[in-house]
Amino acid sequence: MSESRQTQIPKRKRTKPEDETEAITPAPLISEEAKKQKLKELDEFMEDVLQKAGEEFLDEFKQVEGE
Amino acid sequence: MSIPKVVGIEEEYAIHMPGEQVLTPFQASCTLVNAYARKVGLRAPGTRLLWDYGHETPFKDIRGPLFGKITNQQTISDEENLRINAVLPNGARLYTDHAHPEYSTPECLSARDAVACDKAGELIVREALAAARDVAPWLKVKLFKNNIDYQGHSFGCHENYLMDAAAHEECFVRDPGKAMRGLVPFLVTRQLFAGSGRIGSERGQASSAPYLISQRSDFIENIFGLETMYARPIINTREEHHADPTRFRRLHLIVGDANMSEFAGFLKIGSTQIVLQMLEDGYLTEDLSLRDPVDALRKVAEFNFPVELADGRTIGALDLQREFLAKAEQYCRSGIGPAVPDAQLILQSWAYALDGLEELRLSKELDLVDDPRMLSRRLDWVAKLWLIQRYRESKDRSWDSPALRVFDLQYHNIEPESGLFRRLQSQGLVERILDDAEISQRVGTAPPDTRAYFRGKCIERFAGEIIFVNWEVVGFDHGEVHRMVPLLNPLKGTKEQFREVFDRCANSRELLAMIRS
Repeated sequence: MSESRQTQIPKRKRTKPEDETEAITPAPLISEEAKKQKLKELDEFMEDVLQKAGEEFLDEFKQVEGE
Repeated sequence: MSIPKVVGIEEEYAIHMPGEQVLTPFQASCTLVNAYARKVGLRAPGTRLLWDYGHETPFKDIRGPLFGKITNQQTISDEENLRINAVLPNGARLYTDHAHPEYSTPECLSARDAVACDKAGELIVREALAAARDVAPWLKVKLFKNNIDYQGHSFGCHENYLMDAAAHEECFVRDPGKAMRGLVPFLVTRQLFAGSGRIGSERGQASSAPYLISQRSDFIENIFGLETMYARPIINTREEHHADPTRFRRLHLIVGDANMSEFAGFLKIGSTQIVLQMLEDGYLTEDLSLRDPVDALRKVAEFNFPVELADGRTIGALDLQREFLAKAEQYCRSGIGPAVPDAQLILQSWAYALDGLEELRLSKELDLVDDPRMLSRRLDWVAKLWLIQRYRESKDRSWDSPALRVFDLQYHNIEPESGLFRRLQSQGLVERILDDAEISQRVGTAPPDTRAYFRGKCIERFAGEIIFVNWEVVGFDHGEVHRMVPLLNPLKGTKEQFREVFDRCANSRELLAMIRS
């Protein structure tokens, strides 16, 4: 995320040690078709969540201060 | 030298009761607590295991009596105590706090275990809900692991870290500047990877941000303080250490959000453990004091990242985190202090998150333009933003659409049929660091490497012989006399120390006899 405005302290660039292997990868490989299907199911789920929650949901969610 | 950063998490669950209700939220919370207590055998005839409030001092301040409060603290009856509390065989406490169900994890040595215990808490409150519905099918209750209700209220996800008494005294009482120079800037900017995200702001016209990185940022008003329900501080100064105060202190953080993502929770806890060890070891030598930490907390949450330091310099929030990461990498290589469990994974996750945030591109309207490291699979605030963006784009909704607030809240719903995070996880759309077996194990079994093991084992084996428990004592009712086993050192009472003892004793009298010998 861009945040370079007025930065006075020099940015520290991460230098990765040579022996450091990437233990974390962005995402597992998945076919475009499977991804599309998952997203379609997700959209349907969200619609369902919205319907089930109902119009009063936000009003009825009121909590008391915690802690 | 620093000491291991034993950690415990307190989660307050929002309780939603739609429509006309027979019970109040308080009564419903107690119903859940007792339904689960019955399920695990803690309400069997003859079992009256109470929570001991004797060591709770919510009105005492670590900085002295001038900061504390004088109140008429009331004791509660045994019946009320049982109605509110269940101390579980996994060493945790499930109870009603005000009108919420709250789950306090047992003490954990590693961030990984802390997340497993926190996730086990989700399973336990779900089981409590199911058990309550078995006896009261008419009970309409839904539970959410979040921190806001969109009606001006907040509830906490508190973190507790074990600190060396002398270092704690030095950093928070004698010279709070030490905490200001090192710890506070870390906590203010930690939300970049630990925030859970929310729609809009509590600050009305004072904020124009349609989406915030952190749920708690708007509710934090001080740096240090005793309060938890108003004028909330980043660092709570309650003098309640739950351990031998001459050796140990508790650092009580109330600034953090509740995490659904295992990755975010692990990174939040793990990075904080390392930073606290560095603080104790005097390793944080650079002065990174913020000019106004509370203001910076809010600005960072609003994607306004340049942070002003007390000396007039400006630094990006991400760059500030890079300073801490670089120090942490040096520190973990140095061998100073005890090894932080899973240090390499914490450091790699931290670096991955910061690199990913640097590469993340957001439009002026806060749409995700590019997320090459797929932080939407790892960080709660990015995952939620991604979900909401999908809906906004497909339905052409503005940020003030009520549907977006519904999605925000439902992201945290703990039930699979309604919870958006649960859905993402079941579809393989978020990365995990734990497997289900690790979490299930922590539903019934305490961590092996802290005093939670001793507490949990006592409850598992001898619940009917226990009269009360709190974090630092187990009290047995031996008829003519009550016998106490103090657990004043959170690092003792471990499986390594006591497994054989528990294997060999048939009751608590034998247990105590073996301990004495």
